[in-house]
Amino acid sequence: MLLSEVGYARPETLEQALEILVENPGARALAGGQTLINVMKARAASPDVLVDLGGIPELKGIELGSDGTLEIGPMTTYAEVISSAEARARPILGEVCAQIADVQVRNRGTVGGNICASDPTNHLPPLLAALGAELTVAGMGGARKVSAGEFFLGVYMTAVGLGELLTKISIPPGRADGFASVPIGVDGTCIVNAAASLNGGARIALGCVGAVPVVVEPESTKVEAVRGAVREAGLEPPSDVHASADYRRHLAEVIAARAVRQASERAG
Amino acid sequence: MTESTVTEPLVVEETETRRGYAGQSVPRKEDHRLLQGEGVFVDDVKRHNMGFVHFVRSPYAHAKIRSVDVSKALEHPGVVGTLTGEEAALLTDPFFQISSPPGAHLRDFCLAVGKARFAGEPVAAVVATTRETARDAAELVEVDYEPLPAVTDARRALDDDAPVLHDDAGTNLTWEGVYEWGDLDAAFAEADRVVKISELHFHRFNSTPLECNGALVEYNRGTGQWTIITNNQFPGFAAIMMGPAMRVGLDKLRFVTQDIGGGFGNKITSHPQLVACCLLARKLRRPVQWTEWRTDFHLSMSHGNERWFEDTEVAVKNDGTLLGFRTTALDDAGAWLRYEPLGGVIWAQVTPGMYRWRNIRLDFKQVVTNKAPCSPNRGYSRMQHLWFTERVIDIVAHELGLDPVEVRKRNYIRAEEMPYETPNGCVYDSGDYAKMLDTALELIGYDELESRRVDAEARGRLLGAGIGSTLDSGTNNFGQSRLINPELQFSGNNEVAMVKLDIFGEIVVTLGTTPQGQSHETTAAQVVADMLGCSIDDVNVRAGHDSYWNSHAGFSGTYASQFAVTGLGAVRGATELLAAEMKKLASVVLGCSPDDIELAEGQARMKANPEAALPFMALGAIINANNAGLPEDLDVTLNCRYVYRPPFQPPDVERKFGNLTLTYAAQVHAVLVEVDPETGVYEIVDYAAVDDCGVRINPQIVEGQVMGATAQAIGAATHETFTYDEDGNLLTPNFYDYHVPHALDMPPLRTGNIESPSPFTSMGTKGMGEGGGAGIHAVCAALQDALRSRGNPIVYDSCNPYRRVWELLSDPESSRQRVTVEPG
Amino acid sequence: MGAPVVTSQTVRVEVDGTTYERAVEARRLLVHFLRDDLDLTGTHIGCDTGNCGACSVIVDGKLLKSCMLLAVQADGSSIETVDGLAEDGQLNTVQQAFADHHGLQCGYCTPGMLMSATALLRENSSPSDEEIARAIQGNICRCTGYWNIFKGIKAASGQEVAE
Repeated sequence: MLLSEVGYARPETLEQALEILVENPGARALAGGQTLINVMKARAASPDVLVDLGGIPELKGIELGSDGTLEIGPMTTYAEVISSAEARARPILGEVCAQIADVQVRNRGTVGGNICASDPTNHLPPLLAALGAELTVAGMGGARKVSAGEFFLGVYMTAVGLGELLTKISIPPGRADGFASVPIGVDGTCIVNAAASLNGGARIALGCVGAVPVVVEPESTKVEAVRGAVREAGLEPPSDVHASADYRRHLAEVIAARAVRQASERAG
Repeated sequence: MTESTVTEPLVVEETETRRGYAGQSVPRKEDHRLLQGEGVFVDDVKRHNMGFVHFVRSPYAHAKIRSVDVSKALEHPGVVGTLTGEEAALLTDPFFQISSPPGAHLRDFCLAVGKARFAGEPVAAVVATTRETARDAAELVEVDYEPLPAVTDARRALDDDAPVLHDDAGTNLTWEGVYEWGDLDAAFAEADRVVKISELHFHRFNSTPLECNGALVEYNRGTGQWTIITNNQFPGFAAIMMGPAMRVGLDKLRFVTQDIGGGFGNKITSHPQLVACCLLARKLRRPVQWTEWRTDFHLSMSHGNERWFEDTEVAVKNDGTLLGFRTTALDDAGAWLRYEPLGGVIWAQVTPGMYRWRNIRLDFKQVVTNKAPCSPNRGYSRMQHLWFTERVIDIVAHELGLDPVEVRKRNYIRAEEMPYETPNGCVYDSGDYAKMLDTALELIGYDELESRRVDAEARGRLLGAGIGSTLDSGTNNFGQSRLINPELQFSGNNEVAMVKLDIFGEIVVTLGTTPQGQSHETTAAQVVADMLGCSIDDVNVRAGHDSYWNSHAGFSGTYASQFAVTGLGAVRGATELLAAEMKKLASVVLGCSPDDIELAEGQARMKANPEAALPFMALGAIINANNAGLPEDLDVTLNCRYVYRPPFQPPDVERKFGNLTLTYAAQVHAVLVEVDPETGVYEIVDYAAVDDCGVRINPQIVEGQVMGATAQAIGAATHETFTYDEDGNLLTPNFYDYHVPHALDMPPLRTGNIESPSPFTSMGTKGMGEGGGAGIHAVCAALQDALRSRGNPIVYDSCNPYRRVWELLSDPESSRQRVTVEPG
Repeated sequence: MGAPVVTSQTVRVEVDGTTYERAVEARRLLVHFLRDDLDLTGTHIGCDTGNCGACSVIVDGKLLKSCMLLAVQADGSSIETVDGLAEDGQLNTVQQAFADHHGLQCGYCTPGMLMSATALLRENSSPSDEEIARAIQGNICRCTGYWNIFKGIKAASGQEVAE
């Protein structure tokens, strides 16, 4: 419950934030705190320094480009996504954010925090993987773009390295999206989740079944094709108190099909 | 969830019109302070110079403790002291054990001594000037553990190669007893069929009150008395445990409670931590503050009894008449017996459940395992047993192709048979279970079941309906402890109240109870105001419990569904004494006989001439400040203390026979679930709860208890479970993994009520509050009904998360192998 | 120049209309700052993983769980807690509605519930049953089962409650 001693900084610019991260290898970025503070309460991780990103304007905001691309600042909260007029260009974003936890968490939790945590049970990693999002990662030396497929490297591990920060999430245009899940209790932690996007080919990203989202691209949107593609992915999901590996494997098929069905309904 | 409406409770039986406050849903006195955040919960209390304690806990489920080195912790700035198991073993004697041997031989101290026996067991304590410092310093305590194999499955605890937790006991089977009544042989001979169930399992969970345990302990060096500001809900029990262990008289332990954030039984066995705090307060010469965090609570406090029912055989006639059963109950007590093995007899308050079978045998075996110690949890031990009887009814009906409603009605104890003596001599005071069932079925729209089933099917869902009936036995006869251990000197029960009339006419009520949301201040005031004929606003009920007030007795506290009988019985007794004194005094002043006086409208006045009246203030002033000239023999103090004592006899230990509880409230729940057969996910789509707790002093408060218990039952039935891995690590140590119901999880709820007054209590009230277990029974039954068309699996566990429903769907045969039906 | 890294700092907050200034360690959670440093014990703690909502307060107009914010992060903020609801000991509309509908038993979750209800009614003066439940989804209650709390909040909004 009680945190270890920690240093705290509240930079006003991205550059200041990067400087502190570079100077302090034991520093961690503090986004909404809805994950990191709990990790620190449990003393599962005790960073030396917390770099509070809450005061950096360039990390916030949602812009809708003329080509329909959504540019989302990583410090955008779930609540801000839900209420954003721009974000309605890709409605699945707000719909999924609205399924995360509760009002209090949505007022503080951020899109960037959710994906950088790379918790296998989170909602946004599979969603962004299915949508084909592009992430901008910046360091002192400059910025680079990373596709969603290359961003998630493992449990709690992403392409954001030491001394770097996620600075932008770019979502291509589209509307034929779906998301389905089996949570523990309404809006609870997911046992299995899946995001589907039918803009172009069919792309499904499965969550909770591996260290990172598992992307599956079935030949068609027919239920048998989707389920077959999931089976062929040879999932090796974890077994835990909520579900066995077998159960997760089974749910993945069903949930993937449901996500695809929802996406199909919006394709027309 | 689509609806959140609760309809007005359907009162099926009207009793006579009541005057006054009793029977009305008067607003609560507690609310004014609680709504403003001005309740005083234990962590709200501060003392100058207080030290904060953090317990160092074993990471291992089972390990020898080779050494504990606190030297580095002591050097940490801000640390003021420590306590180790070795010190505890020198300064205290082991806690009294309720059990007969071998459980009697357990040596239980406030900290682990020599061995850690569950992951999370406190091994040492560090006190520092801030909370964070204590936590930091705890990491500097070096404990040398030698891990040992752990036993986490009660069914393995008696294997030859099972690790033995307590060498002093020499076995993990710490208590066993055989209960048998009636004539089993005759019952099975008469049976048309014998339904055999190899194994049923009631799971481990508890009520997770939102506020965890805690204390602030001060030591007065001059008087040798500790003041223990705490939220322990049974100070009578804590004192009996702590005094002898600490080698001090009970008067040296002053317990003070005020607002408690939920108890549900889970705040009864904090005495080890309280002893540690007492020792530290004395040693360190400063107040010591303990806050139990959520993870600490889940790891170590008050798990509900986990019970296996093995080799059950049920004798039944073809028409569904149940003749009797035999079973072996294997109870998993966790690592220590802190209130156990009382669970080994408390189930016997409801031996036949709500049913008329007379031939029953139950072999009770309790074992210790490397898990958190069990202690009372809402429904304590009765819930487990009642779940068992309900599962049996349901499985029997299912297997014999009979209607579960008809089987229940055929076998329910009937209203006209009340008071009903059970096979083991308990007396169910009153109740009409069949009527409650009819009410529940009407509320749930049972007649429309088939059309709802069709509708659900069209949406790809399997609809199921389930009934759960339960008893809420209240006001214990502690003599039942002698059935566990004939050497024990406990019996009966008591509760105390004091009522006084102060100088300025204030009525002040002091309770011995420790409410945790049950509205004692309000209901006590209702009773007193009615009896004294004054406004409820003129009755001040002190908040909380303080043993300094001497308004307590050996069994004082709030547990086991009893306040409406014991607490209010004491209030009524004290108020009767006060009323008599007020009339006597008034009669002296007004020159008449006490029978000529009535108490009404805040006055003592002559019935024949109401103008001749003395306001309460006058009475109070005369006795307290203006008493010259009163008759010498006038025995009036206007400060009355009453000890309520329920009418019990010590039970017959040989026959295990006798009345164990005074009152029997009841609840019948009906539930509709919809299962998604593709995933095993299900939703409770409709819920009806009908209760009967006799005369209700405050209907809204009673209904609130029913609702709360229902919600807890829903949580327990669906997701809540303390699950351990093979190494004894708790996999649900916090609210992230241990999912309790949130607002969106709640089904629509319809409630109904009947009042069957108890013939055994002064006001016809019955204790209530624990009856929600019915929800677990009902959800199990509903799931079994829903899955009928999918291979007829048997629901065998009290907790059915989605993964278990999916197992039942995928492989119904495995569960069916637990049940066989043989000719009689 | 980069931003300074500090292990403690002076924090200035306004809580329910009163301004406080205290030195505090960076690691101290806002809820502990309120309860232990400022002696404002109306806000409660019921868990250690950010799930229970007993610590809910409104900071700069946003409802959040004060166990997941550092006190230093609240520097310069305006915080509303249960203490600010009643006026001169008179329960406000929401509080009174909870009392009328028996929306509390032990009272431990109540401060957080009231703040969530307050936040809801500020932005939605006529919430549906589902919206009410969503608004308090982040507040665990173990005593009431939530049903009477739904009624209380609905009544507080001036809507008719099925009695």
